[in-house]
Amino acid sequence: MRFDRIWEIAKKDMASVRRHRYVLYGLVVMPLIFAIVVPMITILPFLSAEVAGDNLPPFAPPGFSVKQATILAMVSLLSLIFMFIPAFVPSVIASYTFVGEKINKQLEPLLATPTTDSELLLGKALGAFLPAVGVTFASFTGMVILVDLLTFPIFGYPVLPDLLSLVILFVYCPLIAILSVSVSVFISSKVNDVRAATQLSGVSVLPVLGFYFLFLGGLLKLDWVELALFAVLLVLIDAGLFYLSKMTFQREEILTKWK
Amino acid sequence: MKNLFYQKGAKYSGLLMIRLEGLTRRFNGRTAVDGLTFGVREGEIFGLLGPNGAGKTTTVRMLCCLIRPSEGRAFVGGYEVGREAMKIREIVGLLPESPGLYGELSAYRNLDFYARLYGVPKQRREENIERFLKMMDLWDRRNDPVGSFSKGMQQKIAIARSMVHDPKVLFLDEPTAALAPDSAKVVRDFILELKHEKRTIFICTHNLYEAERICDRVAIINTKLITLGSPSQLQREFGSGKTEVQIKNLGSRILHAVKKVKGVLKVEVSGNKLLIQSKDPETVNPRVVEAIVKNGGKILYVTRGAHGLEEAYLKLVGKNEV
Repeated sequence: MRFDRIWEIAKKDMASVRRHRYVLYGLVVMPLIFAIVVPMITILPFLSAEVAGDNLPPFAPPGFSVKQATILAMVSLLSLIFMFIPAFVPSVIASYTFVGEKINKQLEPLLATPTTDSELLLGKALGAFLPAVGVTFASFTGMVILVDLLTFPIFGYPVLPDLLSLVILFVYCPLIAILSVSVSVFISSKVNDVRAATQLSGVSVLPVLGFYFLFLGGLLKLDWVELALFAVLLVLIDAGLFYLSKMTFQREEILTKWK
Repeated sequence: MKNLFYQKGAKYSGLLMIRLEGLTRRFNGRTAVDGLTFGVREGEIFGLLGPNGAGKTTTVRMLCCLIRPSEGRAFVGGYEVGREAMKIREIVGLLPESPGLYGELSAYRNLDFYARLYGVPKQRREENIERFLKMMDLWDRRNDPVGSFSKGMQQKIAIARSMVHDPKVLFLDEPTAALAPDSAKVVRDFILELKHEKRTIFICTHNLYEAERICDRVAIINTKLITLGSPSQLQREFGSGKTEVQIKNLGSRILHAVKKVKGVLKVEVSGNKLLIQSKDPETVNPRVVEAIVKNGGKILYVTRGAHGLEEAYLKLVGKNEV
């Protein structure tokens, strides 16, 4: 495995993406909404109004006033929502760099180069993974600053980043991005339309949705054990999907079986 | 480099850069390439001709190690297809049917990306990119995105891309398709220049006129190998042997004299042109010219009566329809 070749492919894909307006919108709009609009909608209503004690969500932390507990519950929800960015953004990029290149017949000359199938796959995966993780981090930083600015008068200290948000950012988000890229590679072999590929890659959000609703329903407490279990589950899903995408992304398969 | 010499007693001798031994490829029970056996010499321009679906692209893809053969073996530069794929990819350049360039990137960046993937060192990379872009008359446009280029310009960039790592063997799939005549000429001249550099060039084409002009030898296939030889050899063997002679003062005396020349099978008249059919034009034509001159004829032009290779091709492919 030669990292310089992998990096060249990733760099080229990232350069292509920067010049593609449709992909660029996907990269910018969603993270901006998650960094600014969603925190405003989620947190602002609870800052000024009185919160009734019987309306506390099941996942509200104990040991706080009703208002503080409600705000902290909303902040946790906000952190969880961030898992949707790495589930969505890589699929936009990967759909473009895999399906787009397939449609434009850009894969054949690439396959003729002395690079291994694994180097090609890793290069292209990295080209989708890095921008996705980059915008997630940037968006998350924006969200943390905004939330802390909004909630500081209530708490007197910054509520973010907390343990949950750090686990989400540094463990879950990269794992979900890998999942999303792997799903996109597999879907790219079956469809001939970038938008269809992006939409079908939406299945990447399923584990995130499952996690989100279990938390929302109070079925997950998100202690260390549950956080670790979900991380292990993601690693296992990633391993399976990456193996599947490696089997799909082979010269022979691409040239003879990809639609 | 190893195994460059074909085994003793085989049909071809000398330094073989490409060697196919019963190369076969099947897709879901359908045979796309059926037992191809031939060799391509080092420094040769070799044309692979055949109708659509004859297996030309599949053959090239196998030789470039993009897909595996179902049966048979092939060697490129002495390395065996399938077993030494990485070595083969290092020494070959491929121009596929579609240019497949990155439209949003500049011409320079497209070539630079590929040169890096081939591991070309920085200085040589820069020299090669400049050299090939200049040869293709596109150096001034090097910083423009190739998406803004015409089809012909994109094809030229794709050809430069296939050369950017100085390959010993170049596979060109329809290199002048969709090119304007002036661009096609640039590409043909470029191919001929590469021949002088002792590179082996393997061209798939439908353009028989072009094959006739630049190829040292051609193979006609229709999933199976139909025939192989130099264009003039195929014309002799399978063409109609027609020669066109344009005469300033064509008259009945000259016509009778030509008809009487030994070896002339048929003579047709069209205006001031004679269309002469013979079995062996290379022997008969000098006699025809002599007879015309002796009878006071002033010859303006002597040319082949039709595209000889085209005639041979149509005859052979027609006979071997699959």
